[in-house]
Amino acid sequence: MSRREGSLDPQTDSSISSLPHLEAKIHQTHSLARLLTKYAEQLLQEYVQHQGDPFGLPGFSPPRLPVAGLSAPAPGHAGLPAPERLRLDAAALAALPPLLDVVRRRQAELNPRAPRLLRRLEDAARQARALGAAVEAVLAALGAETRGPRPEPAAAAAAAAAAAGVFLAKVLGLRVCGLYRDWVSRTEADLGQLVPGCPA
Amino acid sequence: MDFTLCLTQRSRMVDSKRMRMTSNFQWPLLTFILLYLMSQVNSQKKGAPHDLKCITNNLQVWDCSWKAPSGAGHGTFYEVCIENGSYSCYPSEKTNIKIPALSPGDHEVVISPLRDFGSSISKFILSEKNVSLIPDTPEILNLSADFPTSTLHLKWSDRGSVLPRHSNVIWEIKILRKKNMEIVKSVTHNTTLNGKDTVHHWSWTSDMPLECATHYVGIRCYVDDTHFSGHKEWSDWSQLKNISWSPDSQTKVFPQDKVILVGSDVIVCCVTRDNVSSAQIGLTKCPLIHLDGKNVAIKIHNISVSASSGTNVVFTTEDNIYGTVLFAGYPPDIPQKLNCETYDLKEIVCSWNPGRPTALVGPRVTSYTLFESFSGKNVRFKRTEASTNESHQLFFQMLPNQEIYNFTLNAHNPLGQSESMILVNITEKVYPHSPTSVKVKDVNSTAVTLSWRLPGNFAKIKFLCQIEINKTNSIQELRNVTIKGVENSSYLVAVDKLNPYTIYTFRIRCSTETFWKWSKWSNEKQYLTTEAIPSKGPDTWREWSSDGKNLIIYWKPLPVNEANGKILSYNVSCSSDEETQSLSEIPDPQHKAELQLDKNDYIISVVAKNSVGSSPPSKIASMEIPNDDLKIEQAVGMGNGIPLTWNYDPNMTCDYVIKWCNSSRSEPCLMDWKKVPSNSTATVIESDQFRPGVRYHFFLYGCRNQGYQLLRSIIGYIEELAPIVAPNFTVEDTSADSILVKWEDIPVEELRGFLRGYLFYFEKGERDTSKMRSLESGRSDVKVKNITDISQKTLRIADLQGKTSYHLVLRAYTDGGMGPEKSMFVVTKENSVGLIIAILIPVAVAIIVGVVTSILCYRKREWIKETFYPDIPNPENCKALQFQKSVCQGNSTLKTLEMNPCTPNSVEVLETRSIVPKIEDTEIISPVAEHLEDSSDAEPENHVVVSYCPPVIEEEIANPGLDEGGGTSQVIYIDIQSMYQPQAKPEEEQENDAVGGAGYKPQMHLPVTSTVEDLAADDDLEKTAGYRPQANVNTWNLVSPDSPRSTDSNSEIVSFGSPCSINSRQFLIPPKDEDSPKSNGGGWSFTNFFQNKPND
Repeated sequence: MSRREGSLDPQTDSSISSLPHLEAKIHQTHSLARLLTKYAEQLLQEYVQHQGDPFGLPGFSPPRLPVAGLSAPAPGHAGLPAPERLRLDAAALAALPPLLDVVRRRQAELNPRAPRLLRRLEDAARQARALGAAVEAVLAALGAETRGPRPEPAAAAAAAAAAAGVFLAKVLGLRVCGLYRDWVSRTEADLGQLVPGCPA
Repeated sequence: MDFTLCLTQRSRMVDSKRMRMTSNFQWPLLTFILLYLMSQVNSQKKGAPHDLKCITNNLQVWDCSWKAPSGAGHGTFYEVCIENGSYSCYPSEKTNIKIPALSPGDHEVVISPLRDFGSSISKFILSEKNVSLIPDTPEILNLSADFPTSTLHLKWSDRGSVLPRHSNVIWEIKILRKKNMEIVKSVTHNTTLNGKDTVHHWSWTSDMPLECATHYVGIRCYVDDTHFSGHKEWSDWSQLKNISWSPDSQTKVFPQDKVILVGSDVIVCCVTRDNVSSAQIGLTKCPLIHLDGKNVAIKIHNISVSASSGTNVVFTTEDNIYGTVLFAGYPPDIPQKLNCETYDLKEIVCSWNPGRPTALVGPRVTSYTLFESFSGKNVRFKRTEASTNESHQLFFQMLPNQEIYNFTLNAHNPLGQSESMILVNITEKVYPHSPTSVKVKDVNSTAVTLSWRLPGNFAKIKFLCQIEINKTNSIQELRNVTIKGVENSSYLVAVDKLNPYTIYTFRIRCSTETFWKWSKWSNEKQYLTTEAIPSKGPDTWREWSSDGKNLIIYWKPLPVNEANGKILSYNVSCSSDEETQSLSEIPDPQHKAELQLDKNDYIISVVAKNSVGSSPPSKIASMEIPNDDLKIEQAVGMGNGIPLTWNYDPNMTCDYVIKWCNSSRSEPCLMDWKKVPSNSTATVIESDQFRPGVRYHFFLYGCRNQGYQLLRSIIGYIEELAPIVAPNFTVEDTSADSILVKWEDIPVEELRGFLRGYLFYFEKGERDTSKMRSLESGRSDVKVKNITDISQKTLRIADLQGKTSYHLVLRAYTDGGMGPEKSMFVVTKENSVGLIIAILIPVAVAIIVGVVTSILCYRKREWIKETFYPDIPNPENCKALQFQKSVCQGNSTLKTLEMNPCTPNSVEVLETRSIVPKIEDTEIISPVAEHLEDSSDAEPENHVVVSYCPPVIEEEIANPGLDEGGGTSQVIYIDIQSMYQPQAKPEEEQENDAVGGAGYKPQMHLPVTSTVEDLAADDDLEKTAGYRPQANVNTWNLVSPDSPRSTDSNSEIVSFGSPCSINSRQFLIPPKDEDSPKSNGGGWSFTNFFQNKPND
């Protein structure tokens, strides 16, 4: 097994790398992340469709509102060691479900007759939670520390921002959906580097 | 100057009274003028106080001021004395003084400067009219703003306590916007002073969010005291107060999440410290309106209805985007079709249709409140995101002892509210639930009880319920029952008049007696009633066996409504005066019994039994009354049955029985029977067993004296069909001119109807060459014989030809159609006598013709010889044709014709043209001679021609008279009618013809002229003068030397039909008309043989 960037070092924990179930777990989690990446993209499209113009227009780029406790994947993310990347992924995925819940509640008021959007948001929160748990399981299997310092609860801040105004809530929802897509995609990429035979 | 002013003022004061005081003021006027002159004298010494002005703000105190006299020092004191009933003086250190309001009327005011000896006093006449009422400048107590609604709230006091009496006050309020104080609103507000200080409120909603720009408010007032006669003026404007929003560091867009009415105008602003580059609503860019600082606004006109998530308004700066969402919708419509009813008298259900959609959802959706005014209770509609067209419902718990409810349904959303009311007596609006738990219980075989549950507290009302009773193969029955409502929800009714042993299906629905709505039907409940004894005995018939020893008893199974249960067995008994036989417990599937009986009269009794009991016996007598006068009749069915009729017979006291069977079966046969009452005279026999084309035998029995007599015997078909086979026929005898055919009957089963006859076809034809064409196609060569006598079984076909093959076809037919055909080929025998005659007659004729011909030839042999073989003169005997031998021998080319005398055959001397030449030899006529006679232009008139012409055979002229009248012309008339038949004309017409001729006329006699114009006349003649050549005669140039006309006319155009040789019956120029007879054919005659060129 050739060593690749971010791949597991068999010397560091040979007992783990030799376990076939680890690879299976990584592969399974990677597949889940890949599936959720597709769903996240669909969610983003569905969300934009229901916010009215100019949301969704090519030239429309609302401000990237800061979301307390959740940041976008950093540019230097790829340079971090694999366990560290997965820890960041897990932390982000853990912060996303309450944010998605806030977005869903607000959208339930704005678009009560858009059941597909609401269902996708509900599913996204549950899927983010599941993917985060799976990543933590991979981390645990790798023997890495599963949990870093807990991020600030993002939901309260998001709820406060969403209550500020409908437009801001729409922008915030768009931001959260975008972050969800980014982090799921990032997780898929990070896990892909751990999957033998999978291009990084 | 002071006096001048005073006088001026006075004169002004006086002016208004001048009219009414003119006469009274003559003397005071003089006094006044005198005073004025004195004042002028004094003023020339030094100045005096002047320009007295008085104002008041409370109508109680007048504040009067004046201008000090010129030269008056700073410390000048004044004494102001006012004559107001009494004379009061007031010292003043200033040039103004406040005095109590004077009573109405003029008052003299004297202002005397003190300690200023150079100055003189001034006197003024003062009244209320000279006083101005100027209210105090109002003061805004408070100015507040409700930013979410963009509303300003203004509060001020009217200081009503200052004014002594009630007065109307007009307040003018102005609103200014932005720092440059643009007036955006100016309104007046009326109040009334009530002697107390009253604080007033006024609110104004800005079209622009108050956050967008600073708004200023000022106010002033005008006291409109009707009792004050002086000059009233507006107060000064109050100090402006402003409302401004203190922005934080964040850029914001206003208004935020505003709900507005569709079609209204709205201003949206962006409060920012950045430069806003553009703004748009949805996809539409909007022009920017610049406000203070870098704030901008846009104005949206006639906003359209928003989508569910609102309408986005976005401002774009250099590096960011800010926005707000507007929700454009409608206020709630009036709730429609509000209806309140109850299912159970426990809970009231009010339903309504929301009407026009508001386009507002979520927190902005319409909320409904149902308020009951008598009880004061209300319920709120729980918001659902159901479809806008769906009916809404609210449940209201009924109150004890309250039947009348007055409901008001209020609809409310951010844009407005509406309401709808309904007053109901709830006991009349009961819509019961569907009955449940339906159960059926036996009472007896014809009655059951039905029970069901109807939840609700209906103790005070009565129900009207419908029970639907369905029975197999029966009409649905509805029974209405009225039952009293109960509290325990259980109801029970009895249902009677049912049939035993019958499956019923019940279902129930109910409404209140004061009908409002039927409940939905309950579920169906099926039930089988119990059995009862059979109500009737079975329908019975009997037949004697073929040997006459056994009596076979038949009975029909009882119908369900008479069996009243499952028939288990039958009992049969036969009783006579002497004995009784019985058969017991014959199981049900068997419906026949056979008893060995003698020929005594028996009464047969049949009883059906079920589990409950036995039916009444069904009796029938075995005796048969003979009937000698019986004929077999025919009948054909109509539709599905066969109608039978008979005459009324009073002797028939029991009934009539019609039994029938398939006639092809051997006797006794029995398919079925039918009993009809004795008073009937007709019936229709119907049976599912009847089949078309099958012959049935019907027997009508009449019953009298307990015996049956066969009255009629009928064979019939339910429907006749065509035979399925052809009659089998053979040729019995054949002669030279006839054939005898014989055929057989068709069996009844294959006849399939009553035979109506046979059709026999025959034609000449060979078996091999015949194309087996259908003989009934109406061909003329097919002969048909219709044999309607069905008893006829043979047929002789006469008048046939001997030794000829004939194709024979025979087929039978019924009223149902033609049966198939059977064919046969038969060759007739040879006829020898005819053959002999056929040979002998031609031979005899030939012999006779030969003999006659020989005789004729013999007798006319000379003529034949001269005609066919005349003696030809020898040219050598003619001297004229002899040449000297020497010359001839010397040079044959120089041989010349030498006219030698020759022996003529005949000589004809012609004296003149007009004289008919004398023909020496009457047997030889030379037509050339006539030609020569006509050719006068070539020969002298007296020229005598002696010529030889070969003899020509002429036909005798049919009309010699014509020849005689012909004058100089020798014309041979030929029978041209054989070639061209003239048009048939009545004889009268022919006599009247212009030409005067009848039938054919020779062309030479036509009045042909040289002018073309006459041709038209010729056309007419053609129509009337019999035959005319059909071709265009104008085109004919007759050059034939044989044409008689060619030499007889000088005209260049000579045309009169086809030229014809005088010796020929043929036209020389054949007609072009193809329809005309051809010269070679139609014009042929015997004389053609004597022509050298018959076709010319």
